[in-house]
Amino acid sequence: MRVVANLNVCQGHARCEDLCPEVFSTDPIEGKVVIDQPEFPPELEEKVRIAVRNCPEGALRIARGGKL
Amino acid sequence: MTLIFEPLAPDHVPPELIVDFDFFKIPQDVTDPVQIWHGLADAGAPPIFYTPRNGGHWVFLRYADIVEGYRNHEMFSTRGAQIPPIEPFPVLQPNGVDPPEHDVFRKILAPMFTPLAVRRMTEGLQRRAESLISGFAGQGQCDFIADYAAKFPTATFLELFGLPEERLPEFLRIANVFFRSTDPDIRAANLLEIYAVLEELFREKERNPQSDIATTVLQARDADGKPFPWQDIINCGFLLFVAGLDTVTNTMAYVWRYLATTPDARQKFRDRLDDPAAFLLAIEELMRINAVSNIYRRVTHDCEYKGVQFRKNDRVILPNTVANRDGAIFPDPQTIDLDRKVNNHVTFGVGPHRCIGSHLAKREIMISLQEWLRQIPDFELAEDQDALSVFGGSVMGFESLKLRW
Repeated sequence: MRVVANLNVCQGHARCEDLCPEVFSTDPIEGKVVIDQPEFPPELEEKVRIAVRNCPEGALRIARGGKL
Repeated sequence: MTLIFEPLAPDHVPPELIVDFDFFKIPQDVTDPVQIWHGLADAGAPPIFYTPRNGGHWVFLRYADIVEGYRNHEMFSTRGAQIPPIEPFPVLQPNGVDPPEHDVFRKILAPMFTPLAVRRMTEGLQRRAESLISGFAGQGQCDFIADYAAKFPTATFLELFGLPEERLPEFLRIANVFFRSTDPDIRAANLLEIYAVLEELFREKERNPQSDIATTVLQARDADGKPFPWQDIINCGFLLFVAGLDTVTNTMAYVWRYLATTPDARQKFRDRLDDPAAFLLAIEELMRINAVSNIYRRVTHDCEYKGVQFRKNDRVILPNTVANRDGAIFPDPQTIDLDRKVNNHVTFGVGPHRCIGSHLAKREIMISLQEWLRQIPDFELAEDQDALSVFGGSVMGFESLKLRW
C-alpha cells in the first residue's frame, strides 16, 4: 500500500508527523509534508491510517495498487 | 412579537436570522467565556446568523461552514476584517492579505516555524520554563497568568527577535495594554508605542544583522531582488508580536485551570511524562477543547451562500471553539478524552492562513506542562478564586488564575 499527499492542500499542520514519524516528516523550508516511506510496510498500516484521518486539510490518501 | 434592535440589521438580513449576540460581553454568572458560544445553538440560533452588535456581523456555528470560511478566501477575505470595523487598519503581513499575495511573506516566515526549527528551540524553552517555575515553586502559590503564562511567550518572542531578556518588563507592559485596554486614547498611544519599538528594533537589525526572525524578515528580497516596503516589514513584526502572546497565555490559563480542577487528568499527564508521543496526543485534545480564538473574515462580494444573502463587506466570525465541539465531527464533543484518536480540531485554523506558529505554540505549552509537573506535581485553584474576571472578544480568557499547592 502507498500513501500519497496533495501538496496543494497541505498547510503544514504536521499532525501526520506527530502520529507516524516513521512515514511522514515536514519539509524544513516550506513546512509541508514529506512522505519518507510512500510504500509503507503492513505493520505501520494502523498508524498511517490514523495519521491520514487526522489531517485537518484532508491532504493525505491511502492508495492501493499504485492508484489514488 | 417583534424584536427591536438598536442599531438595526441591514435590510438584506431577514428577521429570522437575527440574534442579539455580543461576543465581547460575558454575563456576570458565566465563569468560562467559551460558554457564551456553546449556548447559542441550544437557544435556537440558526447555524448562520446575524447579530447587529459590534458593527453588525455574521456568526457561523457549524464545523463545515467555519472550515469553508477559512478555505474560501475568494469569498471570505482576511483583509480589513476587524470586528467592530477599524478603518484604516494596518495591512498585517502575511496574515492580513489573501493568496497569492499572502504566500510572499508566508514563505519568508515558514522555515523559522517548521517542526524542525521549533525542535531546535526546545532547549531554550526548557531552560526558560525551568527558571520561571523554580522562581515560585517554593512559595506554594502563584497567580498563574501574571507569574507564568504571560511571561513565558513574551520571553520567547524576545528570544526569536534577538532581544535581551532585560526588556521583558517593558514588553509585558506594552502587550498588557494592547490586549486588555478598552480606552480608545490609551489604545491609540499604545499602538504608536509598539510601532516605535518595532521601528527602532528593525533599524538596529539593519545596522547589526543577527540570526533572528527580525533580521530574516529584513533581509528577505522580492522576486526582483529588491527589499520589501518598510511598512510591510514593520507590519510583519507587529503581527508576530500580537499573534503569539495572548493566544498562548490564555490557552495555558484554560489548560492549567482544567488541570487544577481535575486530579485524574493531572495523573494522566504525570504518567506520560516519559512518553512524548502519548503526552503530545493528550495536549492535542487540550488544544481542541480550549480554542481561545474567534477569527474574523470579510465578504468580498454580494452573493448567496447556503441560502443566506451576504453583501460585500459584511463581517463574519469563525468561532473555533464551536467548530471544535461540533457533534457531527467529534463523537462526544464536550468530553475531554486525552486518548482521542481522530482530532481534526481547527484551533490553529485551516487553509492558507493556518497559524504559522502552531508548532511553537504547542511546544511552549507542552514543555511548560512537563516542567510544571516535574516541579509542582499537584496543584489546585486557590480559594479566593471566585472573583475570577473573564473576557470575551477575538481571544477569550481570564484576568487572573490563582493556584496553590
